[in-house]
Amino acid sequence: MNFFGFALGISTLFIIGLGFIWVIRGERYFGYLWWPYVMGLGILLIVISLFVHHLWISALLGVFGASLLWGSTELKEQAVRAEIGWYPFNDKKILPPLARIIRKWKAPHL
Amino acid sequence: MSLNFIGLVSALATFLSIWFGHVAVRKIEFISPTIWLPSTLFALVGIVFEWLSLSTLNFLLSTALGIIGITLLWDALEFTRQQNRIKKGHAPANPDNPRHARFMREYASATTLDMLKRDPIGRSVSQTEAVRLITGD
Repeated sequence: MNFFGFALGISTLFIIGLGFIWVIRGERYFGYLWWPYVMGLGILLIVISLFVHHLWISALLGVFGASLLWGSTELKEQAVRAEIGWYPFNDKKILPPLARIIRKWKAPHL
Repeated sequence: MSLNFIGLVSALATFLSIWFGHVAVRKIEFISPTIWLPSTLFALVGIVFEWLSLSTLNFLLSTALGIIGITLLWDALEFTRQQNRIKKGHAPANPDNPRHARFMREYASATTLDMLKRDPIGRSVSQTEAVRLITGD
């Protein structure tokens, strides 16, 4: 029996679960315009995982990176949910650097 | 310098299986007359994937199967959560699906409109305005 994949799968469940929380909270306090930074961080973690030789650390970096990448594509829809009132709306958001430029880009959604 | 591909395989398995589940649960729940059937199928495939993951000694394969299997088990539960979104009007109902047609009769909040199909405008909106922003009238 090889428990690595199963244990990693359970860890993935919690990391995705954490994703629900940070997408909701992150959008509320910082806004969806942070998406390119979140996406960049996700890709960076996946690239770093290639150079980490410890099995568990590399795998968890990959899962967490992928979760950030996915979450970056969820932020826009979460912003709309808050505007409709399905989640609390906060209008004093801490905007990211270059927010005015990012606003002109099409935010990804899958 | 040698590369360790376990993180990349984990990332691909995670991202692609979340994406697949996200799209598949919505599409299947939209057209399926029941949700117990797709839920059971997803759960069974998830369990088989976990069993295969435990059985293989190849770490890359065990990793991919382990992650995909767990997300399929999660998707099995998501069918129920998606059905609740339909009742609340948080996801669009399909009037051609008898199950959804019943929700539209029983729940005033159920709607065929996809309330999320727009870009954010940066402020709170009323229910009327939320509808106008997606229908354009």
